[in-house]
Amino acid sequence: MAGVTIDHLVALTLLLSVLMLSIGAYSQIIGAAVIQQQNHHIAMKAYDLANTILLSPGYPLGWGQGNSTPSAFGLQDPDVGGYSVSPFSLQRLVSSSQAQVYYPKTGQWYSNNSLGGGGSLLVPIINAVNYTTAAKLLGVNGSYGFQLTVMETLNVSISEVTLNPLRLRVFVRGPGLILSGATLKYFLYHAVPQGGQYPSIETFSGTTQTDSTGSAVLEFLSVDGSQNAYSAVVYASLGGLSGVGYRSRETSGNNKVIPFIEDFENRIVLLAHSYDVHSYGPPVAALHFNATFFLLTQNFGLREIQLTESAGLVRSGKLNYGEGYPYFRLQIPTEGEGILVVAYRWGNNYGMVMMPWGVSALGFSITFGGNPSSADWVATEIRQVTVNGIAYQVKLAVWSTKGQQIWRYKP
Amino acid sequence: MRTIEIFLAAVILFVAFAVASYFAILPSPRLVSSPNLRELALSTLETLDVDGELSRTVFASSSDPSWASLQVALTSSLPPNIVYNLSVYDIVTSSDGVVTYSLVRSISDSPSDLGVGSQASSQIVTSSNVTFTANPQKIGEGSGKNITLYILNCNDANGWWITGYTAQSLAADLYKLLSPYFQRTVLVNSTSQLGTILNNTALQGERLQDAVVINTFGEAVPIPAGYYTTQGYDGSSYAKYAYILGQRVNTYNWTWVSIVGYPLYYVTNTVTFASTQNTYGVYGMRNVGPAGFNAFLRGLDSQSYSYNGNWITGSPGLVQFTWNASFYSNYYGIYPSPYQTSTRALPTSILSTYHLSVPANSYIFQVVNNWIAGATFNHMVTNQIRGSFTAIGLTRIPDIRITALGLLQHYRPIIYKSEFGTSGTSRFVVLQLAQQGGT
Repeated sequence: MAGVTIDHLVALTLLLSVLMLSIGAYSQIIGAAVIQQQNHHIAMKAYDLANTILLSPGYPLGWGQGNSTPSAFGLQDPDVGGYSVSPFSLQRLVSSSQAQVYYPKTGQWYSNNSLGGGGSLLVPIINAVNYTTAAKLLGVNGSYGFQLTVMETLNVSISEVTLNPLRLRVFVRGPGLILSGATLKYFLYHAVPQGGQYPSIETFSGTTQTDSTGSAVLEFLSVDGSQNAYSAVVYASLGGLSGVGYRSRETSGNNKVIPFIEDFENRIVLLAHSYDVHSYGPPVAALHFNATFFLLTQNFGLREIQLTESAGLVRSGKLNYGEGYPYFRLQIPTEGEGILVVAYRWGNNYGMVMMPWGVSALGFSITFGGNPSSADWVATEIRQVTVNGIAYQVKLAVWSTKGQQIWRYKP
Repeated sequence: MRTIEIFLAAVILFVAFAVASYFAILPSPRLVSSPNLRELALSTLETLDVDGELSRTVFASSSDPSWASLQVALTSSLPPNIVYNLSVYDIVTSSDGVVTYSLVRSISDSPSDLGVGSQASSQIVTSSNVTFTANPQKIGEGSGKNITLYILNCNDANGWWITGYTAQSLAADLYKLLSPYFQRTVLVNSTSQLGTILNNTALQGERLQDAVVINTFGEAVPIPAGYYTTQGYDGSSYAKYAYILGQRVNTYNWTWVSIVGYPLYYVTNTVTFASTQNTYGVYGMRNVGPAGFNAFLRGLDSQSYSYNGNWITGSPGLVQFTWNASFYSNYYGIYPSPYQTSTRALPTSILSTYHLSVPANSYIFQVVNNWIAGATFNHMVTNQIRGSFTAIGLTRIPDIRITALGLLQHYRPIIYKSEFGTSGTSRFVVLQLAQQGGT
């Protein structure tokens, strides 16, 4: 009798142990399969979102050149189609990579989409499209997060070889290789005294090619780079691939002119004194400025277009800081893409700032959306696009904001 | 005994687990979300061809340096862990229509095949040396008639209900839109020239019979001085001039086209009516009213002249393209809005009153409550067409693309297009991408 009982006990224990082991093992397989399915679903969502964002222009079609919030989100350039992105739609996105800037004289916050090095792009948050709005328009708010990175494919870097005479070395490379034999179109804007307190801009331009190391030296024999200020813009092209780079040098110290976009639709730009925006130390001086707009033409030429001077709009003036000295307004004269160049001066100190009208004119990059660093699993899509002829790479990272729950209790 | 049974059960369970594990092979995490190489390839091809550089290169000779540039551009634009193979194929069409693809050149940065994990996209590019054409058939060519298009462009007349345009600017636009479809297009530059063609005399040796005459002056119609201002006046109204026009349309088998509003509501001649205005302050014009179009219809139908000032048009409001209009809009590449507002639509009752018929393909807008907002009407005499008119009964401002579409869908000239895939004109480019290290 005892033997039978012991036999039952051993058998039952053994059966339960084997059952537990089996259930545990199968659960692992099923759990892994569910996670794979969820990840696959996120990858599919990334594919869908990339198509929606890059292959549709949104609505209204030209929302990048207006102030209203679009009712459908998409970045495709409606005038070109295909994998072509509108430089103006990109310009209206709130950057997630840099801290926002507050300008007390307008009482508004601005998204800092600047790339630095003499290039500035500050867009008003009130008229820009933020991540939450885009997520709602894409139908993923609360379910998926995404981050869109639009970066120039080519890296066109410019360094100084000598200052007097000014010699600049241009180096062109892509993610995979240097670009030898690339055609370079370059423009140099040199701030010079005009007579009186205002500076004017002297323009130099030319064409050359990169050598087998992907570099070329640009010589400006009549320019002393250590004096005044200059800005150089170089467009590089090879085999259908184009990129742009720029460099600036100034002697104005803490005193700068900072352009803010006020109105996308009417193309109004504010010019502010840096002292009113940042807490720079002394010396602080009023700045005499002179603004010029260069329209980006086909085949990457830059053509000067006269700025309007009427009804509160200026192209030159004396910009002061503090109470009682308002900012100046100017209007971009065309709806096309280009570069606003503002040269400024106090005494014998010169400065220069460039603002692209349409991000690709100076090859600005945009990082837009949420932060994927805390996500469990992120799917990434990579596409090549052009932005007004400049080659860009778009990376779209997508993740689930609901976590990786395999079993969920629903009361 | 039971221990042995349980031991056997455990063995069965483990075997079942082993078998299930063998078949339950999950994809590697890399496969779940490998980079979408197909879309990357397609977007790369589009990027390289954005200014036509890819198209130029694939048609260049093998020794052309642009191939090296293309290879550098490809290598530079793709991420370093991606390898590629770009193949260019010539599209060859044999005489019996069989299409084959022959490899022209292939460039790659991989020493071997890219493997089964690779993905590819393709694009057809066309040679910049080849022009793809679309040649329209001339209207009337099929029936041996060289139909002439007359566009009224009189410099001594004023328009009405063409607000924002001048008749001359509309004439220029119509010329651009329609002249490719006609053997001859003649601009009638004065009321005197209009009188000439009304008198059955050609202006430039063109064929006058079966012509199409477009009145670009809106609700007004130019009237030549002399015979037509005397014979076209019944003592109180110039409706009789419209009656004569109807007779001429019948006699010469013309198609008279009214681009907007109430047809023939005013007569205009800036010299003859220099001191007369149309009751709205526009000089050089005289009001005729609805009697003009009623008289035109009587003239067209060879009825005797009588003055009838009854208003016959209606306002169906919003009207929509017919299926035919939408189809021919795509066929001819003319895209006015398919929704328009009609306030001068003609009643269907005129069809029986004046022996008119509208071919199914000639309705521009759907008939709403027996109102025809836009169509070409044929006047029938014993199953023969003796004169036609196109009436666009929309409210101002005119969209002359609707006039062009209405005429084209009535006459339906064929467009002969050169084929995209003809030998030597296009090449097939395939970009195959793979991740280094495989999947």
